[in-house]
Amino acid sequence: MNINLPWDLSVVPEKFFLFRDAALLTLEITTLGILTGLVLGLIVALGKLSQHQFTSKLASAYIFVIRGTPLLLQLFIIYYGLTSIVTIPPFPSAIIALGVHNGAYIGEIFRGAIQSIHYGQMEAARSLGMTHRKAMRRIILPQAFKRAVPPLGNQFIIALKDSSLASTIAVPELLLRGRQMGSSTFMYMEMLIIVALWYLIMTSLLTYGVHRLEQRLKVSDHD
Amino acid sequence: MTKKDEPILRIEHLEKYYGDLHVLKDISIDVAESEVVVVIGASGSGKSTLLRCVNFLEHAQKGNIYLDGEHIKPVNKVLNRIRQDVGMVFQHFNLFPHMTVIENVIEGPVHVKGVPKKAARERGYQLLEKVGLEDKAEIYPEMLSGGQKQRVAIARALAMQPKVMLFDEPTSALDPELVGEVIGVMEELGKEGMTMVVVTHEMWFAKEAADRVIFMDEGVILEEGAPEQMFSAPKEKRTQEFLRQILNT
Repeated sequence: MNINLPWDLSVVPEKFFLFRDAALLTLEITTLGILTGLVLGLIVALGKLSQHQFTSKLASAYIFVIRGTPLLLQLFIIYYGLTSIVTIPPFPSAIIALGVHNGAYIGEIFRGAIQSIHYGQMEAARSLGMTHRKAMRRIILPQAFKRAVPPLGNQFIIALKDSSLASTIAVPELLLRGRQMGSSTFMYMEMLIIVALWYLIMTSLLTYGVHRLEQRLKVSDHD
Repeated sequence: MTKKDEPILRIEHLEKYYGDLHVLKDISIDVAESEVVVVIGASGSGKSTLLRCVNFLEHAQKGNIYLDGEHIKPVNKVLNRIRQDVGMVFQHFNLFPHMTVIENVIEGPVHVKGVPKKAARERGYQLLEKVGLEDKAEIYPEMLSGGQKQRVAIARALAMQPKVMLFDEPTSALDPELVGEVIGVMEELGKEGMTMVVVTHEMWFAKEAADRVIFMDEGVILEEGAPEQMFSAPKEKRTQEFLRQILNT
């Protein structure tokens, strides 16, 4: 039996490594975006759990706006919308957008994890004379981080894929590279398959990494 | 230092409400240095709330607490200092699961009092030896039985060298066969002169180790006295009923 595919799949391995730099760029945007998101997320979570009404409301408003609007819109606002005040080049725009966006989601992940720690832990820490801040840092957060790992892994994978939106503002990451290669060779499908393979490799590695981390943390997890 | 006749802990006219529920009604207790006071009473009588109000894990609406002559102002700065002098042992242990046993014990001294780690560990090992768990120092709490966990929790509280120790139903979450080892440690502490306020259902601890037994009912102190008197000839009808019930089970 002979099936004739309309595509020449032999170019897939042939051109595969021409996408390496674009893949690295995707990885960079994702990593920096996630790191920004982690920092913002911690601030948002602590803000939302704060006794201080204003701080808590501010954190809620941030989550409300960011979760309620598309990431692509947020990216456009940063890249196009802000031009009258400040011009931010494509690459940092992508990182900021991804970071701000993930800050809201990661903030909710952290908040859930912090609240899942039994209140007895805080009471025990306070009964030793710890300040609230120190009890958070030494007792609550280390336990909460552990519990946040599985949902964080999930969020990281989403972020990795979302970084493809940067292609719309001319960041030469994987997807844009695929489109460019497609239009210059007229082999769109072949190039997009290569892009898909690169994403699959990266998400697989990320999944594996998170899984390993979970296993390692489990060794010293005790609830 | 305190004069012997002055109470180390004074609880004065405490009133506590949860919404409309009046859980503590004009509670006053003086605890002398080295005294072991056992608080008994049915569930919901307010005895745990009372303990929690003493180190301000809960805030009473009215009343005063004095520790070693100092009137405690309920502001964070004061409370963080006062709590270092008031050890608390919880029903559910509340050990820190992400730390080994010895790390649990030295957490307070090192990170609250600023004791050098080496010195804190040495003292921590002594305390673990005292509660019979020096061989468990380097493992995580999850590997321990309930009784062992509670003994670690006692060591953790003692590591702060508190003036008073509060025990909030320390054996209620334990399997019956593990109660003895925890009570044993507590009896030992009492003999060594530690000032203790203990909320418990273990009447034999009250009989053996208490200097004074307080019976609480519906938020008031109904009766108090030496254990011999309380157990052999309680005055109040509610106390008689309670003791009959609990001693028959």
